[in-house]
Amino acid sequence: MKNLKKVVAVLVLAGAIAGWFQASESTRRYLKHIGKQVPYLPYRYFI
Amino acid sequence: MADYDVIIIGAGLGGLTTGALAAKEGFKTLVLEQSDIIGGCCSTFEAGGYKFDVGASIVEVIQPLERLFEMLGGKMSDYVELIPCDPIYSFITDDGQRFSIPTDIDETTELVKRIAPEDVEGWHRFCEKGLSMIEESMDAIMLSPMSTFGEAMKVVARNPKMVKMAPTFVRTHQGVIRSFYKNPVMLQSAAFQSYFAGAPPELGSGVFGYIALSEHLGIYYPKGGMIGIPNGIARAGENFGMEIKTEQKVEKLLIENGTAFGVRLEDGSAITSKLVVSNLNAQVTYLKLVGPANLPNWAVKGITSYENSMPCPMIYVGLDKKPELEAHHTIVTSSIEAMNDVWNNYYKKGIIPQTAMSLVCWPTEADPSLAPEGKHILNFLCNAPAPYAPIGDNWDRLKGWYKEAAIKELETHVLPDVRDHIEYIEVSTPLDFERRLLHPEGGIYGLFSDMTTLAMFRPRARSKAVKNLYLTGSSTHLGGGVPTTVASGIVTSKFISKDHG
Repeated sequence: MKNLKKVVAVLVLAGAIAGWFQASESTRRYLKHIGKQVPYLPYRYFI
Repeated sequence: MADYDVIIIGAGLGGLTTGALAAKEGFKTLVLEQSDIIGGCCSTFEAGGYKFDVGASIVEVIQPLERLFEMLGGKMSDYVELIPCDPIYSFITDDGQRFSIPTDIDETTELVKRIAPEDVEGWHRFCEKGLSMIEESMDAIMLSPMSTFGEAMKVVARNPKMVKMAPTFVRTHQGVIRSFYKNPVMLQSAAFQSYFAGAPPELGSGVFGYIALSEHLGIYYPKGGMIGIPNGIARAGENFGMEIKTEQKVEKLLIENGTAFGVRLEDGSAITSKLVVSNLNAQVTYLKLVGPANLPNWAVKGITSYENSMPCPMIYVGLDKKPELEAHHTIVTSSIEAMNDVWNNYYKKGIIPQTAMSLVCWPTEADPSLAPEGKHILNFLCNAPAPYAPIGDNWDRLKGWYKEAAIKELETHVLPDVRDHIEYIEVSTPLDFERRLLHPEGGIYGLFSDMTTLAMFRPRARSKAVKNLYLTGSSTHLGGGVPTTVASGIVTSKFISKDHG
């Protein structure tokens, strides 16, 4: 079970990295932009 | 005993809507406006014998307005005369094509067959999906509180078909329109509307990808200028005793034990109330009127995390000749890539673009009474968006240069001899907008809009940080625009009615 979790985690990470390199410049800019905003969401939720 | 039940700061559309509905509910209501005219961005001023619109140039999706006047016991036509504008737009594309998009969907289909036959099927899918979404969800999205996860879930539970819309919220504007169109001209014609919500196509929420379709439900211009809408709401509210005082700038909110109980004006006088509604930008409300000292740390962190929406310098032109235009709005557009490039490589870097999207509004086409007989008005957005703080310069110094750039753009696209026919010309820069509307950095759509600043992630209509403080207008869900700010006023009034009615 523990090994399976590790395999899944590695696959997800590999998928994310492959997805990043396959994405267009525009999509990368979008993901970067959203990534910068995400840490603020808990604060924005309550304001 | 408080002087008023409700004090509203700002007579923009959100403030007037909340005020009129509160007055109808029996609340003794006072609206304080710092300017000498009401309406905020949706207003009209007189200069040189012409009547120019401050910012907003059209109204579409009129259902919130109709709903508002129904709630006030009347009909919209009793208060506001709307003139239909058809065609919706005239386009000048980057490859020099010129065409107009009619309101009628069947006529538009014929146009698509002509200019982009490969996208006829996509246009049909766009209509089918978009119109059912608008029909099924517009009321729910616009007129329901969505400040919390629970409220949003209630809206979805009441409108289960909204589940189908979920992917639209996480997609981008360009992602949505690219799922329907391949032809560059069709893509251009539906992409620039992302800037109407203040973001480039690659960042704007997919929800706004359907603006290009909602316009086919009709776009309208109010008789007498855009101020016709706030004037109508004000008249309806005054019927129920709502008071409006102009040239009254609020300096601070009166707060005790975390509860708002009135306002202090610039002249030092205080007016007390049971509750306060701010129609100002949420950052101005929290950081200037409330003050960080009256806020918990999480609230300061939350409110400072937002970026302001983009500013748009506006050029007001009075002409002694009819311009060579076909529609109320003419868009000088460019490819999606160019629209994104202007944002990333000019706007964000503080550079004023030399070529970009421009929008020419010709209000005297709909209402000739705005200008002296035989004369015309153009409200012109030139090469938008432009940065608030151009590198190494400022807008007060750039005004003359920008005016000249705008005239050249008009010479190219609108009237070759426009220079000889200009009777009046003035530029409202981002700094002017900041001073006139108290919008930080001149941002005309309140806070920047993307999927991380919509619904429950936009400042709440009922403040959690300050008791008895409510917010309305473009800083709250669903952002800037005429129908959205009216809808925000309706939502805020529902909270007031529930909490204090």
